[in-house]
Amino acid sequence: MRKHACLWVLLLLGCVAAATGFQSRPPAIKIPFETYTLPNGLTVVLASDAATPTVAVTAWYHVGSKNEMPGRTGFAHLFEHVMFTGAGHTPYGVHDRFTEGVGGSNNGTTSNDRTVYFETVPSNYLETALWLESDRMGFLLDALDVDKLNAQRDVVKNERRQSVDNQPYGLASEILSSTIYPPSHPYSWSVIGSMKDLSAASVEDVKNFFRLYYAPNNAVLSIAGDFEITQTKTWVKKYFGDIPRGKPISRPSIRPVTLDKETRLVFEDRVQVPRLYIQWPTVGEDSDDRFALYVLDAIMSGPRTARLTKALVYDQQSASTVGARQDSSEDVGDWRITITPRPGHSLTEVEAAADAILDKLKAEGPTQEEIQRATAGQEFDFVSGLQSNLGKSMTLADGGGIHNNPGYFQTEYQKMLAVTSADVKRVANKYLSKGRVVLSIVPTGKLDQAAKPSESKPYRKVEQ
Amino acid sequence: MNPVRRKATLALVLLFTGVVALAQQSLDRSKTPPPGKTPFLHVPAWTKTALPNGAELIVSEKHDLPLVAFLITFQGGTYQTESSSRRGLAAITASMMNEGTKSRDGEALSNALQLLGTSINVNIGGESGSMGFQSTTSKFPQALDILADMLLNPAFPAEALERLRAQRLVALTQAKDQPASIASRVFPRILYGAGHPFGQNVTEESLKAITRDEVAAFHKAYFQPGRALIAVAGDVNASSVKNTVEKALGAWPKGGEKPAFAYPALPAPHSPTIFLVDKPGAAQSTFAIGNPGPPRNTPDYYALQVMNTMLGGMFQSRLNANIREEKGYSYGISSSFAYGKGPGAFRTGGDIVSAKTDAALVEFMKELRGIEGSRPITDEELTTAKDSLIQRLPGTFASVQSINSAIVSLWTQGLPDDYYQQYSAKISDIRKEDVVRVAKQYIDLDYLTIVIVGDRASIEAPLKSAGVAPIVLTDIEGNLR
Repeated sequence: MRKHACLWVLLLLGCVAAATGFQSRPPAIKIPFETYTLPNGLTVVLASDAATPTVAVTAWYHVGSKNEMPGRTGFAHLFEHVMFTGAGHTPYGVHDRFTEGVGGSNNGTTSNDRTVYFETVPSNYLETALWLESDRMGFLLDALDVDKLNAQRDVVKNERRQSVDNQPYGLASEILSSTIYPPSHPYSWSVIGSMKDLSAASVEDVKNFFRLYYAPNNAVLSIAGDFEITQTKTWVKKYFGDIPRGKPISRPSIRPVTLDKETRLVFEDRVQVPRLYIQWPTVGEDSDDRFALYVLDAIMSGPRTARLTKALVYDQQSASTVGARQDSSEDVGDWRITITPRPGHSLTEVEAAADAILDKLKAEGPTQEEIQRATAGQEFDFVSGLQSNLGKSMTLADGGGIHNNPGYFQTEYQKMLAVTSADVKRVANKYLSKGRVVLSIVPTGKLDQAAKPSESKPYRKVEQ
Repeated sequence: MNPVRRKATLALVLLFTGVVALAQQSLDRSKTPPPGKTPFLHVPAWTKTALPNGAELIVSEKHDLPLVAFLITFQGGTYQTESSSRRGLAAITASMMNEGTKSRDGEALSNALQLLGTSINVNIGGESGSMGFQSTTSKFPQALDILADMLLNPAFPAEALERLRAQRLVALTQAKDQPASIASRVFPRILYGAGHPFGQNVTEESLKAITRDEVAAFHKAYFQPGRALIAVAGDVNASSVKNTVEKALGAWPKGGEKPAFAYPALPAPHSPTIFLVDKPGAAQSTFAIGNPGPPRNTPDYYALQVMNTMLGGMFQSRLNANIREEKGYSYGISSSFAYGKGPGAFRTGGDIVSAKTDAALVEFMKELRGIEGSRPITDEELTTAKDSLIQRLPGTFASVQSINSAIVSLWTQGLPDDYYQQYSAKISDIRKEDVVRVAKQYIDLDYLTIVIVGDRASIEAPLKSAGVAPIVLTDIEGNLR
């Protein structure tokens, strides 16, 4: 499979090179790496490349908002903040001092499925970075105190205000997720969580969460950049080898949902321009159907010849912007259309127009040229990504963590290029059916601006 | 670790060679591992020539990946080229260049670029503009030919102008719902006034006034080789790529020159004032605090870089450490200088929870006074700021795109070719007294502008009580109410 796809790319490149007379080497759809597992269960990935004198270290943990307990939404992300407040041997501030303070950078990110910590440092600070990451993996609780938790709780509440509550249309994603998934479904609540639950999080919660999920057997350590492999292996063993393995983690099976009917909602927001969201539940990262859904979104929106964009923005000129995108988490996914109408055009009108375009696609499938256009940028995107040590370390970590294969990016790349017109037609018909959520966000007091207002139920914001 | 203990460990290892586990147990995590040898600074090399039409060409070869970044940069931007009644003309012209050429309509252009896996971006900023793309090596000549067609033969269809105008009007309406966008419109307006290009925003009226003839005229006057630098970085050969570029742009006739960067005088300064923009029900107050700053060519640039790194350029800078990390009033506070040919702004700010608007303002003022001398700079602060600035440099040339930007910025800002080689020494020279001096000189606490976009009903009274500065109400365009 791998060999076949590579050959295909090679042939394609070869043709172009012959046509233009420009020299071309085989495309670099590879990241040379080594991987191994420490006795405590820590997966280690090393990708050495001296092109830029920096090293990126990613500490990837298989835990996210879907692992939160009832009444503790937002906790996984709040915990991420706590990981920057110092650990047993690295007091608060030291982490920043030896990353950003030596010309590097650091950050963390939490999603439904994973929590990822990363730093890029000048290559001579790799050992320091390993010391920092290992200390918070092994000794976070030695430095934990309630004041630090409280300060980060306030910071996270402000993060929520800044990205959700004080943002026009900011609540759209929360409304859509909480409608598509039943209340007990782990993907029904947002990663940022509710203000009430953030207030409730305790030091005890931090301890329990840390002991279960922040163990080496639930983590991937991925290092990419300018470093010497043998020396680095010694350091990895030195700093991470004595961190004890944690308890086994049970992972309840989480299934994607299907909807048997359309739910229509309207939400009043402090906006002047209404906006329409249509979202269907699709598939997660365990289903290869997502590749055809990615190709479908590229065929529908983006460049001016993408179908929805062409119809609504260019031909009918009823919309100012149109977006369509497939988003896959580990267990579930969704396909979403977002449309901002132009003045004088209603959400009802743009919804009908979008549906007509989708129906045509479902009936006929895309052309071969549309598939080509949608996937032609893949090679550039991949090779361009290789310039970033951080990007490489994160790609390898995610493949190792989710797919048990740091080299999974190659499989993904090949599967994207293998999508056919028939695949796209099939997934469009299978997933973009009548079971969906249609959300209108309208200016306060203008419920009549909703798409099909008489059929749309006002959404009441739950007090956060 | 004390020397005695180290000796003892060594003796043990000598006695029982192979007792690796024991050696590992002795790991002293409280000791910071020392850094290795500082990596050598490899500044990319480049060649510089000129095309027959006067455009300058720089090429920087990098062959580890099959990638090319191509960028034409034009000296001068909206501040030099737009009139106050036509704000938005440059941006619309830039978009219009993607709308088709004499031989390819907009769809044909888009399809061709998609199949090459690239897109051609045209942007015109305040003091410079650019047109460029990135591609794999094999697609570079074809993408360059399309760029040349867009540059030299744009069709500017009238219907496209109407569509772009309508889209921009919607985006402008949406921007006025967004607290950060409002602050970014009001702050420069107060700082520079309606008579200074820095203080003029795109408006409904200016967008509605733009005509197709103006777009065509703007294009003709602006996209000229006499003000252009062509930069190519990546997997190319310097001499052969020169031929490729010359051939692709062979029809680009000589013309144009670098603009003068003359700006009107700044408005008379005012004593510190809070300009409050009411955003009823806002969960946070968006702050923008500052004053007009120095141009990029100020001899104080390096001292200012060190000063700002300490004040608000890093996560553990004074402002963020205090207002976010210690107080929890915000998700993030930063500060910056907008360097250029003119008096770009010093600006600090962030989004503050409404209930702490007054308390946060007091802390902002405290830190600004602090960096001007009331809170002494520690040795550790100075070292960290310098280390951060100096050691960041080797990593900044990682991508073909960042190599282009690094070289092009020397040209746009008039900096010497050995700027990056000199940088470390210039930063190292900065002393604490330099930091305090430039803070005092360039952050003028007697004439500070404080813009706050927030829920007037809940924040006005506490702000008044805080007594930092008088409050003036403005609308979302920065007009006094």
